[in-house]
Amino acid sequence: MSKCPRKIAIIDYKSSNLFSVQNACDYGGLDATITSDKKCIKAADAAILPGVGAFADAMKKLKKLDLIEPIKAFIHSGKPFMGVCLGLQLLFTESEEFGLCKGLNMIQGQVRKFPLQSEDGKKIKVPQIGWNKITKTNDSDGSPLKNVVDGAFMYFVHSYYVEPADNTCILTKTNYEGIEYCSSVLYENIFATQFHPEKSAQNGVEIYQAWAETFVS
Amino acid sequence: MAQKLEVKYGLPEKVEFCSRCVMSNQRPSSTAEFKHNIESKKTTLHIDEEGLCDACKVAEQKETGIDWKDREEKLLRLLEKYRRNDGFYDCLVPGSGGKDSALQAHILKYKYGMHPLTITWPPILYTDYGYNNFKNWIDVGGLDNISFNRNGKVMKLLTKLSIENLFHPFQTFILGQKNIAPKLALKFGVPLVFYGENESEYGNPIADNSSSLRDKSYFAMNNLDEVYLGGLSVKELMGKYDLDLIDLMPFLPASYDDLEKSAIEVHYLGYYLKWTPQEAYYYAVENTGFKARPFRSQGTYSKYNSIDDKIDDLHYYSTYIKFGIGRATYDASQEIRNKHVTREEGVELVKRFDGEFPDKYFNEVMEYLDIDPDYFKNELSDNFRSPHLWKKESGEWKLRYKVWDI
Amino acid sequence: MNIRIIPRLDIKGPNLVKGIHLEGLRVLGKPEDFARYYYENGADELIYADVVASLYERSSLHDIITRTAKEIFIPLTVSGGIRTIDDIRDVLSAGADKVSLNTAALKNPEIIEKASRVFGSSTIVVTIEAIKQADGKYLAYSDNGREYTGVEVLGWAQKIEKFGAGEIVITSVDNEGTGKGYDIDLINMISNAVNIPVIAHGGAGKLDDIVDAVNKGDADAIAVASMLHYGFVEKNKTDKSGNDEGNVEFLKRGGKNSRIKTADLSEIKQHMIENNIFCRN
Repeated sequence: MSKCPRKIAIIDYKSSNLFSVQNACDYGGLDATITSDKKCIKAADAAILPGVGAFADAMKKLKKLDLIEPIKAFIHSGKPFMGVCLGLQLLFTESEEFGLCKGLNMIQGQVRKFPLQSEDGKKIKVPQIGWNKITKTNDSDGSPLKNVVDGAFMYFVHSYYVEPADNTCILTKTNYEGIEYCSSVLYENIFATQFHPEKSAQNGVEIYQAWAETFVS
Repeated sequence: MAQKLEVKYGLPEKVEFCSRCVMSNQRPSSTAEFKHNIESKKTTLHIDEEGLCDACKVAEQKETGIDWKDREEKLLRLLEKYRRNDGFYDCLVPGSGGKDSALQAHILKYKYGMHPLTITWPPILYTDYGYNNFKNWIDVGGLDNISFNRNGKVMKLLTKLSIENLFHPFQTFILGQKNIAPKLALKFGVPLVFYGENESEYGNPIADNSSSLRDKSYFAMNNLDEVYLGGLSVKELMGKYDLDLIDLMPFLPASYDDLEKSAIEVHYLGYYLKWTPQEAYYYAVENTGFKARPFRSQGTYSKYNSIDDKIDDLHYYSTYIKFGIGRATYDASQEIRNKHVTREEGVELVKRFDGEFPDKYFNEVMEYLDIDPDYFKNELSDNFRSPHLWKKESGEWKLRYKVWDI
Repeated sequence: MNIRIIPRLDIKGPNLVKGIHLEGLRVLGKPEDFARYYYENGADELIYADVVASLYERSSLHDIITRTAKEIFIPLTVSGGIRTIDDIRDVLSAGADKVSLNTAALKNPEIIEKASRVFGSSTIVVTIEAIKQADGKYLAYSDNGREYTGVEVLGWAQKIEKFGAGEIVITSVDNEGTGKGYDIDLINMISNAVNIPVIAHGGAGKLDDIVDAVNKGDADAIAVASMLHYGFVEKNKTDKSGNDEGNVEFLKRGGKNSRIKTADLSEIKQHMIENNIFCRN
C-alpha cells in the first residue's frame, strides 16, 4: 500500500494538532494523509501546514526534518497550499519571538506579539484563546470562505499575529481587545488562517471542503 | 507441620473473602455493646459455599426481591398511626447531622409531615467541619435537637478503658448512640424512634432483616450484672474508679421491662425506604447544608462517611488491627454492593488505602485520653493482633491474607 | 474578549457522573449524548475529566476522546490522571486538543515547562483545585480534591504561568456541585494575578452566577457542569436501559436537583448578552 497521499499532504513536523486537521479532512471527504516524507509532499496535489506552539521551535523542527526547501518548492509549484495557525505565521518573513526569528518568507511581512496591556491600560490576556469574529475585507467569492457569513465566529489560539507588508492579501480581519489584525490571507496559491477551522464547529470544519472545492474539479 | 496459630476473639480460623464485595469472614457482626468484654466471642460475617456473603445477599434482595412501593405504603400507615398535630413530637431521630441522620430526620419532617425531635449523643472530639454539619443540620435543615453532654471525666475514663481493654475506641460513642433515643423516648412518652439502615445490610445475620423493628437486645438490659463498659463489669468500675451508678447511667441502656411496658417501637427507616448511602450524601448537601471533609479520610478513599469525630479514624484502625479489615474495605464493600464501583476497583482501593495510619488527629486523641502514643502504636496494638491474621516480616507487621492476593 | 462557556463532563468508565465537592459518583447518563447535545447547541469547548484516574492510577478516556474528535469540532480538553509526557502524547494522539494537569504538576512543576516546550503552551492547561481553609487562605489539593499539599493557590498560579502553561482552570472544591455560586473572591484573585486566561469552575446554580463570575470575578471563560447536566436530564429521556453500573439511583427515581436552576447553553448566552458580556452566539 502506498504511503504517499494521493491528494492532500498534511505536513507533519512533530507539531501538535495534526489529528484534528486529519479529522476535519476526513469529515469533509478529503483524501488527506499525515506525512513528513519530502517525496510524498512533493507528489501531493495539495498540502496543509498545521501548527501549534512556538515559531522558533517550529522552524528548528522544519530544518531538522529537512522540510524547508520542500515546502518552499511546493508553494512555488503553484499547487494549492493551506496554512493553519502557526502554519500561517511560518509563511512570513520573520517573527518577533526571541528577538527576531526568520520564517519561510513566502509572504512578506512580520509576525508580532499581542501586547500585555491595551492602550488605555487594560490588561490583555495572552494568548488569545477563544472565539472571535472574522470580518471579510477583500472580495472572497472565490475563496474558501465563500460559504462563511461575514462576522462569523472562529476559534483562535495564539499569542502572535501576522502583519502582511501588502494589505491586498488580507482575506479577513479580527479585533482582539482593541487590536485589529489579519486573521486569514489569500495570496496566489496560498490560503492560510490564524484561526483553527477544524475547531470552529460546523462553520469552520466545512472550510476544508470549500478549500478543496477551489482546486478539485 | 506448621504450628497452629492462635485465633483471637472467636474469629473463624480460615480467612475467606466474599467473591462479590471485598469483605472478609473476619468481620464481626454488631452486638449489644454493653455486654462486650474481652472474653466475648464474635459472631462473624457468613460467606456461603459459592463465596457470597450475607451482606451481598441482602443487597441483591434490596435490588430485586423487595417491593419498595409496598414498603413505603407500610411506612405511610405507620406514620399515620403516630403523627401528632397538637404541637408535640411524634418521633425521635437519633444522630449527629451526618449524611444518614440528615436524610432520616429531614425526610420524615419535610416529605412525610412528621414532627421529629433529633437526639444527639455528641462525638467524643468534634472535628470543626463535623460540628458545622451538625449546626447546619439544625439551622439549615430546620430541626429541633436535644444534645446530651455527658460527664466528660467519665467519658474520658470509659473511652480510655475501652481502648486499653478491648482496643475499641468507639465503644462509648456507640453505647450512647444506640441507647439514648429509646431512653428519651420513654422519658418523653414519644413512642416512635427511627434509625437508618439495618445492620444486616452490612453483614449482620440475614434473619435480622425480616422486620422493620430493631431487635430490643441492642438497646435494653435485664439487669446490671450483664453489663460491661470498657471491658469491666459495672461492679468493678464502681469499685475500682470510685464511680456512682449515676455516673454510668448515661452509657447504659433502658431496662427491658420498662420498654416492654411502654408502647415504644424502634424502627429502621431503611426497611421502608431504599437506602443508598451515597444518595444520602447528595440529599444532605442539598437539604441540610452538609459539607464533605476537605480532604480524604485516612485509611480510605472517601470524604463524607463518619467525619465528625476525631476518634473515628482510630476506630477503623482498630478494626484493621483486630480483624484485618480497614476503612477502605468497609467503604468499598458497601459501594460494590450498591454497584457504584466494581470489585476490581474495590480491590485496588483496599490495596492502596486500607490500614493507612490515621496520623492527622492521632496525637490530639492520645493527649486527650492520656495514653502514650508509642505505647498505643506498638505494645498495645500488637497485643490485639490475632496471630492467625498477622505475621512479622523483617520487623514489619504484614497481613497473612490480602484480598488482592486471591 | 468573547467569554467562553465550557461544559465540563466528569466521566467514570462509560458514565457521565456528577458529584459534590468532587465527591460522589451519581450517574446522569452517557457522556457522548451530553457532548453531542452541547456541541449542537453552542458549547465553545468541552472538558472531559476522568474523575477516578488518579484514584486507580489509570487513564481510560482514550476511546471516548477518539470518538468525540471525529464528530465534534470544537476544542476538547482532557484531564484526569495525566502524569507523564507520554501520557500527554497519548491523549493528544487520541484526539484531544489540550490536556489539563493537576496532581502531576503539584508533585513536579517542571513537567509544565517540559510539556509546554514539547507540545506548545496553549496545549497545556493546569487545574487548581482550591479549598478554603479556616484562616481564609486557599490551598491547592491534588487527586480530585483529596490530598492536602499545603500549596497556596496564588503563588502556585503565578508559578504555573512562569512555567509556561497556556491556561488555568480554577476550581472551588467548596462550591463545586452545590449550586451556591462561584467563589468570586477566588476567581478574581487568580485571574488578576496572571496574564494567561483563567477558566472559572465550581458552583454555578443560576444564570446570574455566570454573569458574576465574569463581571466580578474577571474570569476569561466559564466551566459549567451541574447546571447544564441536570438540565439535560430534565429535558431528555436519558438512556436508562441496561445501565447497571454505577450509582444510578437518581436516574431510576427520576430525581430532580432542588438547589440548581438548570439552564441550557442558549439561555446562558442570552443572559450574558443581556448583561453586556460578549460571547459567541
